[in-house]
Amino acid sequence: MRHPTDGTLRRLLDEPAGVPDSDREHVAGCPVCLTGLATAREDATAAAAALHTPAAPDVDLAWRRFAVTVDAAATHRAPAAAPVRRWRTALRSPTVAVLGVVLVLTGAGAAAAADWLQIFRAEQVTPVAVSDADLVRLPDLSAYGDLEVVQQPDVQPVADVAAAEEATGLSIPEVASLPAGVTGVPAISAGGPVTAVFTFSAERAVAAGGTAPPAELDGSRFQLAAGPGAVQMWSSSSGLPALVVARAVAPSVSSDGVPFSTVRDYLLSQPGLPAELAAQLRELTGDGTTLPLPVPAELVTSATTDVDGSPATLLTSRDSTMAGVVWVEDGVLTGVAGTLTTDEVLSVARELR
Amino acid sequence: MSSPPARGDVRADLEPVFRADYARVVAAAARVLGSPDDAEDVAQEVFLAFSRSVVPAAEAPRWLHVAAVHTALNVLRSGRRRASREHAAREDDVAPDVADAVVVLDERGRVRAALAKLPHKQAAALVLRHSGLSYADVAAALDLSPGSVGTTVRRAESALRKELNAHASSD
Repeated sequence: MRHPTDGTLRRLLDEPAGVPDSDREHVAGCPVCLTGLATAREDATAAAAALHTPAAPDVDLAWRRFAVTVDAAATHRAPAAAPVRRWRTALRSPTVAVLGVVLVLTGAGAAAAADWLQIFRAEQVTPVAVSDADLVRLPDLSAYGDLEVVQQPDVQPVADVAAAEEATGLSIPEVASLPAGVTGVPAISAGGPVTAVFTFSAERAVAAGGTAPPAELDGSRFQLAAGPGAVQMWSSSSGLPALVVARAVAPSVSSDGVPFSTVRDYLLSQPGLPAELAAQLRELTGDGTTLPLPVPAELVTSATTDVDGSPATLLTSRDSTMAGVVWVEDGVLTGVAGTLTTDEVLSVARELR
Repeated sequence: MSSPPARGDVRADLEPVFRADYARVVAAAARVLGSPDDAEDVAQEVFLAFSRSVVPAAEAPRWLHVAAVHTALNVLRSGRRRASREHAAREDDVAPDVADAVVVLDERGRVRAALAKLPHKQAAALVLRHSGLSYADVAAALDLSPGSVGTTVRRAESALRKELNAHASSD
């Protein structure tokens, strides 16, 4: 038989049970493989010795240092109502740091004043796979300037779809037939537009480890806007949402004068942003109408599909317990998700009235 | 001592996870950086990212190790390691025996230089494996097939040893 590969010999050192019996038997009786195994062992021992760095951290001290950092980070965020806590957590995640870049790059909502130039308006959504590794390597954009929330969405429960339509001015979709296992009436919430202004600071960007930005970026402002919108949620006995149907005015970004390409090229060149991801974002944001949706590759798979002729992104958790689909039509973003199969999610999405 | 962050919007399992995994995460980063102080900086950064994440607690050890190794490799390659820390380390190490300390620092420097030369995935697989992750975990973390983890680690170890031997023979 053929000699097992070097990789198999290496695994024999660490996890012999992971190597097929036939390979183990071969190696035991093969002088060539035994020599290879000895060399692999020597290299592994040398690597272990070379990498070994004594470290005996004081965990109590480390925790105190860390607690101060976490606390300081938390004080920079405005308090929010309990129902949106999950969103607050999500908004602080590195995934949303990417989304922050993306929104600055692209933009949302109507320009509020004559001096705002809309530089992005989401007309479609495209998934961008990001790994855990990408996420921790991202630059911390919140350190690059000041983000001021000018208008809070003020999300409130509403009685029914008609009230949600009145509150948002949007046509709120109704589910034609609920998937098996989903029953009852949904809890409906509606909120107004959310608007935030990000003021870029060259000094802070450099202090945060960024590269020196072009002079025109210093002090420049970007207005991020999204909404109004409404969410309908059917709960399950487990407490997880069984089905969620959401619709909102898609995000947009406006600038007070700095061209889109200047800010995009600067942000995408920041240290930490993996080159491959930067290239993907640069390509996607080229026309200022595609909203890249960061998707954690370890947890979720994505695919493209369509809903009534609009290109849509289908997301499925790797454990197949949840699925969702999101699309943009005429500047309005709609999402359907839940503890459902992809077929059920697509069926609900395509039959919305 | 227990002094949880005062704000109520961090994940509830943060402190137990921190206390359970901090030392191992520092050790993983230290394998890359060769400096316990720099490794602690990386660990703090990684736990901050974790505090903002929704990574399930059961997956935390793997996630933290992978994040620490990627971040540390990134730091190594970007030259972001603190010069001041290295000076401090030098002074500490020099105290008992100058010659021994210089040898240790030279050796550590060579290992880091060799590690920085490896392809990112090879270096990450090498350090993750030597930090105790299983082949299955390394495969999942680096998007490798389980069968190719051994090959990747083997190549990295062989390249590392060659690099270090080349330095040794040129001295």
